Amino acid sequence: MIAQTNPLLKLRDLIWAWTLRTLRGRYQQSALGWLWAIVQPVATVAIFAVVFTRIVPVDTGGVPYILFSYTAVVPWTLLATSLPDMAMSLVQNMNLVGKIYFPREALPIAALLARIADFGISFILLVILVVIYGIPVSLPALLYLPLIFLIQIALLLGLGIGTAALNVFYRDVDPLLKLIIQVWFYASPILYPVTLVPQQWQWLYFLNPMAGIIAAYRDVLIYDRLPGEYLLPAALVSLVIFALGYWFFKRVEFQFADII
Amino acid sequence: MPPVIRFIDVSKRYNLGLTRTSLPSVISQWAKQVLRGGNASARKYHWALRNVSFDLEKGESLALVGPNGAGKSTILKLLAKITNPTSGKVEVHGQLSALIELGAGFHPDLTGRENIYLNGTILGLSYKDVQKRFDEIVAFSEIEEFIDTPVKRYSSGMTVRLGFAVASCIEPDILLVDEVLAVGDASFRQKCIERIKTLLNNGTSLIFVSHDMGLVRSVCERAIYIEHGQVQQSGTSGEIIDLYNQVLDRRRIEKMNRAEGAMEDVEGGVEVIKVEALDANGNPVRETYGDQPLEIRVKYAAYKDIGKANAIILIYRSDGLMCANMRSHLDGYPLHITKGEGEYSVRLEPLQLFGGTYYAITWIMNADDSDGIAYGASEWFEVRNRVPGREAHIAVYEPNRRWSQNLRTAVTETARQA
Repeated sequence: MIAQTNPLLKLRDLIWAWTLRTLRGRYQQSALGWLWAIVQPVATVAIFAVVFTRIVPVDTGGVPYILFSYTAVVPWTLLATSLPDMAMSLVQNMNLVGKIYFPREALPIAALLARIADFGISFILLVILVVIYGIPVSLPALLYLPLIFLIQIALLLGLGIGTAALNVFYRDVDPLLKLIIQVWFYASPILYPVTLVPQQWQWLYFLNPMAGIIAAYRDVLIYDRLPGEYLLPAALVSLVIFALGYWFFKRVEFQFADII
Repeated sequence: MPPVIRFIDVSKRYNLGLTRTSLPSVISQWAKQVLRGGNASARKYHWALRNVSFDLEKGESLALVGPNGAGKSTILKLLAKITNPTSGKVEVHGQLSALIELGAGFHPDLTGRENIYLNGTILGLSYKDVQKRFDEIVAFSEIEEFIDTPVKRYSSGMTVRLGFAVASCIEPDILLVDEVLAVGDASFRQKCIERIKTLLNNGTSLIFVSHDMGLVRSVCERAIYIEHGQVQQSGTSGEIIDLYNQVLDRRRIEKMNRAEGAMEDVEGGVEVIKVEALDANGNPVRETYGDQPLEIRVKYAAYKDIGKANAIILIYRSDGLMCANMRSHLDGYPLHITKGEGEYSVRLEPLQLFGGTYYAITWIMNADDSDGIAYGASEWFEVRNRVPGREAHIAVYEPNRRWSQNLRTAVTETARQA
């Protein structure tokens, strides 16, 4: 008989196996393989750089525009790729959900982890760029990096798990989510600096947690300063979204197999 | 020790049709409702299970038997926590492993090796546990040479072998097995049965769903018969198998009679009204014994004078085997049919049929026995065996008999020399 092991430990192994499965599936038959993790953000940045340095110059505070936008595109790409994946993770594996019991959250979490792997690769390139451009980075600022990352993960987990559950009931979620991500892109400081937003609207602007997260990445990595107090609303909103998403998932989880 | 599974008054309701409606269809629904003025949105539900209760003790094996759509798979899904009961309570104590559908939990693009890990972790093992059992799983499934081939290229037999190997090698406290074993070949099935028996001996409890009564008999001690989402009967697997076979037989005969009755016509001027099986006192019987007399009586109505005719009475077993073929004119007993109602009968004394489900049919033939002019069939009747341990349908003939034995003195050395 198998010793009754910790269920969380088992969940961890399942998530791990499923993440590997997702990554293998994604890069198995592609020639570039994991290089795709870099190709996408780099191509995006290349286009931005042409438009926003030649055609409509943007004030980046003395930082090369390529670095300025790449710093934002890397965390943004994580959001833009992982959310649709997570939202589809249950629906795409109906045959599994309908036939075997396992902790259902394993699927969206694994979908996120598989995208975090891509994020890691493109983040390495970000570090290389920072070094190449000779941007000074201080240690205390660097210590903020894990915190910023965790805030973003909380946000993505909450949104992703919640939409994955909602998608089981309404397939409208997937197209709607893609639409929201499109709008969200312009509501976040990716193409432009935060300073472009009028002072009196900044409080509202920073209710968008991605604004705080991206601003914080920039402060730490390219402006050599500590993130400002704008990180607090980002953290709070992300935590609330995480709690709501998880609560909703747990509440409707038992219906998945019947509806799928 | 408390039972490992307790199913307490469980009901499960499914919604039929669309579970969620889109905005356009909701609007059209409203429109319809307004136009008709009635409550058009009466939801249709299907009760897959109603008030089902049973227990399963540790190390016990239980078969769920019943026709398609009876609710057997729903019970398995409830046990496996795939779905939840609408009311009632399902208690499962111990680690449960379910082999419910062929290849569920396998990813077609991944290799057998990768799938063993994936499926193992889905079934609740840790990576290390799978690693420990990996060789055993591969050996059992007999797919060594294809272990690094994507599962989508496997045959269905290979897939079910791998699935069973993973599900059984984790040595669960409770094993659920649905119809899947039917896919494998005979030798693999034998291996699975051996494996299941070993698990049972080691204390695993089993719930088994199959339409193959031979498998049920060889694997399970107890069984419950389920129909229309309700437990109709529970007992030893032998008892339930008999019951199940009877139900199947009756269905088959009723269906056959309906189909043939439709073709009935009175072109020949005579019609069979009724074919009955009667006991020694002339009362209709549905149940009798092989050592009892049985009379088969046919009532007919003739709409004209026919004159000389012949009667045929055949007795069939439910599976279509003809057990008796009796022709009145060959027995020197020609019929004479005149306008009006009448009856003829044949008496079998004793019946001498072995336990099983039977029915009789009759033909009224024309004078030269070349063409049938009327046809009729009886309802099924059950012949029981006097000895309870004997199974139905394994023989046809139950002769009147007398055993004897002569004891002679043993052939000894001295006797041989003499």
